[in-house]
Amino acid sequence: MNALIIEKTEDSPGVKFDPATAQLSLSGESRPENAGKFYNPLLEWITQFESILFWRKEQKMDQKPLVFAFRLDYFNSTSAKYIMDIILTLNKLADKGYPIRVEWYYDERDEDMLDAGKEFAEMVKIKFDFLPN
Amino acid sequence: MRYFSNPVIKIGAHETGKPYFSHTKHQHLHFSQNSMQDNNSLNAYEVHKFMSKMDILVAFTGHFDHQMITILLKNIRGKLKTTSPEMAIEQKVYCILVECVENVSKYSSGNEDSSRNGMFMLCKSDTKYTVITGNPMLNKDIPSLKTKLDNVSKMSREELKQLYRQQIMSERETENNAGLGIIDIALKSGNQFHYNFKPLTETTSFYHFQTEIEINS
Repeated sequence: MNALIIEKTEDSPGVKFDPATAQLSLSGESRPENAGKFYNPLLEWITQFESILFWRKEQKMDQKPLVFAFRLDYFNSTSAKYIMDIILTLNKLADKGYPIRVEWYYDERDEDMLDAGKEFAEMVKIKFDFLPN
Repeated sequence: MRYFSNPVIKIGAHETGKPYFSHTKHQHLHFSQNSMQDNNSLNAYEVHKFMSKMDILVAFTGHFDHQMITILLKNIRGKLKTTSPEMAIEQKVYCILVECVENVSKYSSGNEDSSRNGMFMLCKSDTKYTVITGNPMLNKDIPSLKTKLDNVSKMSREELKQLYRQQIMSERETENNAGLGIIDIALKSGNQFHYNFKPLTETTSFYHFQTEIEINS
C-alpha cells in the first residue's frame, strides 16, 4: 500500500498517511473548494488500510498503534463534517480491536480549536491526546 | 491625490463583474471634480469619510468565487493578526468571516450575472468586530433559510451545542452544510446575529446578515 502525501495549499490541508509507520497526519487550513473531492480519497485510504492492520494482526506482528495527528490551524464547517467522518472511520477500526490514538494539536491561545477537538472526542470511544503546539 | 490610505479599502467590480481588490489600481476609483456636485456620482472623499466613520476595515463587493474568497481571506487574516489584541478573538472573527463569505458565494457561485453579486464588510470598533454580508437571493429559497435562522437565534449555548452534534453526525444532504455553518456562527458570536430580507423584485430579495464579536467577551 502506498503512502498518501498531499502538499498543503492556501485552502486545503497537507496530508501525510504513512502505512509503514501507521502515522497519519492532517495539517494546515481546511476550506477546500470541493470538500468531498478532497476528503473522500482520505477516507478510502483509511478504509483500505484496515487490510494492512488485519494482515499484521494475523501474522502476529508487532502492532504499532495507528496514530492520527490533527495539526489544523483552521477548518470550516463543511470540513468539520469530513473530519467527523475520519474520526468515525477510525472509531470503527478501534471497535474491531485495532489500537488507535488521535493526537489533537492546538495553539494554546486558540481555545476554540481545543474545544472543537474535545467535541469530537466526546462522540467516539478512541483516545484523544490534546497537545499544545 | 491619495486614495483610501487608511483604512485600506478593497471595493468594486470591473464592468465584467470581475471584482478587483488592489487599491493600487487607482483608475477604478477615479471621480471627477464635477462629481462633488453630482448626487448620482460617488465622491471618493465622502466614501472614505463614511468608511472611516463606520470603522470599516475591509469592504468588498463583486462576484464571490472560491479563488477570489481565498485571496481576500488570506489578506484579511494578515490584517486581523495586526489589529487583534488576542489570537482567540482573531480566530473567532476569521471563522465567522469564512462561514459568512462562503455563504454568499453559494448564492453567486456559477452565476457570472453581476445582478447576483454579493458584498461583505468587516468593521472594527474598540469593543467589537462586525461582519456584514449581503446578497440577492431567490424568494423561493427564503422561507427555509428564515426558519433555520429563526430557530438558531432563539437557542441557548447548550441547545446550539446539542444541535451541532446532531448535525455533524447526520447524513450529508448537500455539499454545502448551511446548517452547521450557521450554528457555528451562533456559537462563536454568542448568538449575536441579525438578518433581514429586503424585497428587490417579484422573485428576488436582498439578504442582509450581520454578526458581532465582542472584543472583551
